[in-house]
Amino acid sequence: MGVWADYLISDAPQSRRQARLGQFWRQWLALKRNPLAVAGLGIVVALLLVAAFAPLIATHDPLAQNLDRRLLPPSSAAWFGTDSLGRDIYSRIVYGARVTLVIVMLVVLSVGPIGLLIGAASGYLGGWVDRALMRITDVFLAFPKLILALAFVAALGPGLENAVIAIAITSWPPYARVARAETLVIRNADYIAAVRLQGASQWRIVLRHIVPMCLPSLIVRTTLDMAGIILTAAGLGFLGLGAQPPIPEWGAMISQGREYIFDQWWVATFPGVAICIVALGFNLLGDGLRDVMDAK
Amino acid sequence: MNGGPAITVEHLNVSFGDSHVVRDLSFTVQEGESYGIVGESGSGKSTVLRVLAGLNRDWSGTVTILGEAQGPRRDKAFHRAVQMVFQDPYGSLHPKKTVDDTLAEPLAIHGIGDREPRIARALKDVGLPMAFRYRYPHQLSGGQRQRVAIARALILEPGILLLDEPTSALDVSIQAEVLNLLQALRSERRLTYILVSHDLAVVGHMCDRLMVMQLGKGVEEMQAATLSARAPVTEYAKELLTASEGFRRS
Amino acid sequence: MSIAPADQPLLEIDNLRVNFNTPTGIVRAVRGLSFTLGRERLGIVGESGSGKSMTGRAILDLIPWPGEVLADRMVYRGQDLLAMPRAERRRLRGRHISMVMQDPKFSLNPVVTVGEQIAEAYRVHHRASRREARERSLAMLEAVKIREPARVYELYAHEVSGGMGQRIMIAMMLIAEPDILIADEPTSALDVTVQLQVLKILDDLVTDRGMGLIFISHDLHLVQSFCDRVIVMYGGKAMETLPAAELADAGAMAKRHPYTLGLLGCLPDLDHRRDKLQTLTRDPAWLA
Repeated sequence: MGVWADYLISDAPQSRRQARLGQFWRQWLALKRNPLAVAGLGIVVALLLVAAFAPLIATHDPLAQNLDRRLLPPSSAAWFGTDSLGRDIYSRIVYGARVTLVIVMLVVLSVGPIGLLIGAASGYLGGWVDRALMRITDVFLAFPKLILALAFVAALGPGLENAVIAIAITSWPPYARVARAETLVIRNADYIAAVRLQGASQWRIVLRHIVPMCLPSLIVRTTLDMAGIILTAAGLGFLGLGAQPPIPEWGAMISQGREYIFDQWWVATFPGVAICIVALGFNLLGDGLRDVMDAK
Repeated sequence: MNGGPAITVEHLNVSFGDSHVVRDLSFTVQEGESYGIVGESGSGKSTVLRVLAGLNRDWSGTVTILGEAQGPRRDKAFHRAVQMVFQDPYGSLHPKKTVDDTLAEPLAIHGIGDREPRIARALKDVGLPMAFRYRYPHQLSGGQRQRVAIARALILEPGILLLDEPTSALDVSIQAEVLNLLQALRSERRLTYILVSHDLAVVGHMCDRLMVMQLGKGVEEMQAATLSARAPVTEYAKELLTASEGFRRS
Repeated sequence: MSIAPADQPLLEIDNLRVNFNTPTGIVRAVRGLSFTLGRERLGIVGESGSGKSMTGRAILDLIPWPGEVLADRMVYRGQDLLAMPRAERRRLRGRHISMVMQDPKFSLNPVVTVGEQIAEAYRVHHRASRREARERSLAMLEAVKIREPARVYELYAHEVSGGMGQRIMIAMMLIAEPDILIADEPTSALDVTVQLQVLKILDDLVTDRGMGLIFISHDLHLVQSFCDRVIVMYGGKAMETLPAAELADAGAMAKRHPYTLGLLGCLPDLDHRRDKLQTLTRDPAWLA
């Protein structure tokens, strides 16, 4: 450990890789000092583990119906009780982590780069490129996110993939806005003037010099947004426009439990708690990351 | 060397919206010369430098650099011949790039090989130990950052170096080291300097000739010796000189 | 306000220390500084990290967390500042001891006219009607050589130039008629010609009102030409305290501390052109 810490914290790194790793290590040390961020990270890591090892953690088959065991309260046999089709809620929530994770990952992987590129290009190039791109973003921003997503899903047809597409289409504009605002500040920095003076092409400047500067705030924003994405997905699921039965999606599970909420509270409550905890985890982590990454 | 003019500026005008920041400015810098531009804030001195560097594209007049008339856009050959060092060492290095990345970038842009020895030599030339090669800017002091910025400017081996207040953000002891470095590099490589500063003593120390600017106009051009002899002709240059000598109780 | 006997110093400071407790250890910004201030212009000069600004802030109890101020003695006109309750200390601030910072842009409230800000500063410390406060503010603007004070009174911070902004700050700090003014690089953000006008105003106010001025600066020339006495600081310690005139006195150089000599030597000088500037070699023994 001592040797590794010395290697990572060295003031005179011997290679590019050591410098990078050292940078990550310092950020990790800073993050570690923030207990809430560590808690958030813990929740996110737990979500990943649960999703990865769902078959080992689950006690039942999440899809197996057993109408004899409908709406049983939480017990040692079914920890979180069973739903209206006799499925084990605990196992469904465990498998639901996979669905949630897939939605979040797909949305983030499509939205992050698109928003970043559009925003950076718009901010750096300016002129008509900027005007055209920003008017398009304005159009998307003019609608409430959930309504727009609903409209897209309604047009594309309900389903998990379409929900992901709808969420992605509706959530890139804020990212482009953030990236553009950041770029407008960065483009006037002396270090950008210096690369211009070296004869770098505009694309080189945007991709290699501006994008790395926008990245931290975008990562922070994405992490904070994940809670929102999960909630939107859950909302679509709740309205029956997201994941279709029998996929154990948390929002859809709440929706199914809605009818029984007064007599069989556990059906809707446990998926709700799961959404709440995961959303909280991403939020705490995002807050911690902001303190660490935006420090400079 | 020391032949013709390296830079000729004739009737340069620059406006930002309503404000006319450079007004009909003309001057010539000989190859191998060190030329100073002095003025207070708002005099347009930094704008002149940015026009020469091609960073400011809205101007009118004639700018000739190394015999070539320059338009608003510059080609790669220009960038190999003319480089610049900025005022703020905290703003002129990319915060997410190591010294090595910063120095490798111009080589990559111009497709120059043998990066290893070039970067090593660039660091040595500006007096930085190799241990600094993979450091990030936040791990360097102001003086060290400015040395990196000078190394970056020189790695393409330009003949002309534009210096925009290169030491005004530094402590005096660090300023002395950076000025000495710039002097040594100039005599070694026969560089042409244009140094913009508000500090008459720095310009007097570094330059052969200088121009005093006020509100966008070139007020007076003089030899550095005129400055030492306290013999400027115009009122404004005299006033600037007196003011720079410190406070006087009447 | 009682009039102190002429020989009583305004401020006595003994063994002042400012420490910052950081996760990586204690950073000692000021380590054992002692001085007295009379009705004079005292310069504190040093490079960045010398602790000169922290000294000014420590006197006003303006050191940000996690810093702490320690001293053996800190006495303002016979009143022990260290024993004083925080609230009383705060009342002293602004009323009896004031501070002018480097950049007026960050010190003025952008949504209130500069005149009202000055009047407000007066009313915080004096029972006065709005009208009276306005009158005093206009007079103060005039005292800092602002033409058309009535017009300037109505301006907002973004509508004034750097030099005028700094004069407004000085007016605001001086309207309460403090005994001590701490000026932290008050002219560094200004052009040389404007700088001299601002200094002239400070100088007149010190002379006319008998204030004590602590002038913090990195500029040796300026301190030497403006101040009566100078403390040269390095690494949180005073290297030496000397009459300002001796900084320019070639005959007195033999007495100078090597750090002071080093600082003087590395300044470019119009009268003595050299190929190479002298550089400063720092001796660890200075901080021992």
